[in-house]
Amino acid sequence: MATQPSLQLQLVTLLGQRMDESVYEVILPTTIGEISVFPGHEPLVSLAKPGVIAVRRQKTDPDTALEYFATSGGIIEIDPERVRVLVDEADHGDDIIEAESQKALERALKMRDNAADQVELEKASQLIDRHQTRLKVAGLRRHQTKTRFK
Amino acid sequence: MASVQQLKSRIRSVNSTKQITKAMQLVAASKMRRSTAAVKETADYATAARELLADLAHDRDTITSHPMFQNRPIKRRLLIAISSDTGLAGAYNANVLKGLVTELKSDNEHHIHTDTLTLGRKVSQFASRLKEVKVIGSYEKLPDQPTGLEIKAILNEAIDRFVGLECDAVDLIFTRFHSPINQEVVVERLLPAGLASQSDYEQVSSEIRESRFEPSRDEVLDAVTERLIETQIVQALLDSRASEHSMRMMAMKNATDNASSLSSDLTLAMNKERQAAITQELAEISAGSEAVQ
Repeated sequence: MATQPSLQLQLVTLLGQRMDESVYEVILPTTIGEISVFPGHEPLVSLAKPGVIAVRRQKTDPDTALEYFATSGGIIEIDPERVRVLVDEADHGDDIIEAESQKALERALKMRDNAADQVELEKASQLIDRHQTRLKVAGLRRHQTKTRFK
Repeated sequence: MASVQQLKSRIRSVNSTKQITKAMQLVAASKMRRSTAAVKETADYATAARELLADLAHDRDTITSHPMFQNRPIKRRLLIAISSDTGLAGAYNANVLKGLVTELKSDNEHHIHTDTLTLGRKVSQFASRLKEVKVIGSYEKLPDQPTGLEIKAILNEAIDRFVGLECDAVDLIFTRFHSPINQEVVVERLLPAGLASQSDYEQVSSEIRESRFEPSRDEVLDAVTERLIETQIVQALLDSRASEHSMRMMAMKNATDNASSLSSDLTLAMNKERQAAITQELAEISAGSEAVQ
C-alpha cells in the first residue's frame, strides 16, 4: 500500500510552538475567506485573520473529532507537504473556559463604550475580536462533546 | 604590617562590598530566569519568521517588486547596536563595543558610510565619542519585556531610511544568548529582508520558489514583512537582555567569591597580628617581673 500523503502542520505563536504534527486537513481563516488545505496543496502565502483554525488528523475522522484553535491574525505559508501558520496567539479549544471568555468579552465591550481616545478604542476592539473568537471555539467545542455523547 | 585596627576596617569594607555584590547577583539571577524564559518562548516564532522571510526573498518577483527586499550594492549602511544601560556586567558591553568597532573598521576599508542607531546607554556614550560616526538616534531605558510601541519607532526609522534610499543595508549588532554561560556577539541583517545571515541562506531551499499569493503579492508582503522584521528586533532585544543578566550574574558571582576569599585572608592576617601583639605583651610582662626579682 502506498503511504498516504501527509501534511505537516506547524502552528507557531509568540509563546512557542503550539503544534508540529502530521495531519490530514487544516481549515484556515484567511482575509479572503476560509480555505481547506489537504496534502499536496500548491505553494501559497496568505494572510490569516482572527478566527478559528480546525484540524482533522485522520482522513476517517468525523467532524466531531475536529480540533479547534482560536487564533489572532498572522501569516500562512503552504507547501505541498507543510503548512506553517505564524500567529500571535492560538488557544486550543480544550483550554478555553467559556464563562471566563464571556466575562472578558463583556469587560471589553464596556471598555469600548467608555473609550476615551483612539488608542483605547483600538485596544478594546482587538480584545473584543479576540474574545469573540474564543467564545466561538468554546461553542464549537461544547457542541462537539454534546453530539459525541448522545 | 598593618595594625589590627587597619585590618579590621578593611575586613569591614570588604564584607559590605560582598553584601552588595551578593545582592546584585541574586537580582541578576532572578532577572536572568525571567528573560531566559522570554527568549525561549519567542524563539520558535522568530526562527519561523526568519525562515519565512528567507523563503519570500527567494521568490524572484518579490526581490524586484518590493522595496524592502531590494538588494542594492552597499554604499551606506545603518548599524543598530544593542548594549545595556548599566555597567558591572562583566565583558557584556565591551564585547558589543568591540563588535561595533570591527564593523566600523571593515566599513571604513570598503568605503561604506556608516550611520548608527544605538539602543542602551553604554553604546550611546561610546558611539557619540567617535568622531567619524554619525549617531542618528539613541534609545535608553528600554523595558525588559519590550512592547510594540518602543520597537515601532526603531523599526520605522530603519525602514524609512532603507526605502528612502538613505541606506542600502540595515544591520543589527547584539549579543545572542545560547546559554547562561555562552553568549556571542553577532551581526544580523535586517534589510534587505530575508538575508539574515549566510547560514540562513543555505539552510532554506536554495532553488527559486514560485508561490501564489492571496489576496495579492503586494498586500501579503506589505502586511507581513514589517511584522517579521519587527520580530527580529524584538528577539534581538530579548537575547541581549538575557545575555546581559547572565553575564552580570556571573560577574557578580565572581566578585562575591573574590570578596569572600579576600575577607578570609584578611581575617587570618588580623588574627596573626593580634596574637603577635598578645605574645609581645606577655613577653614584656614576664621580662618586667624578671627584672623586679
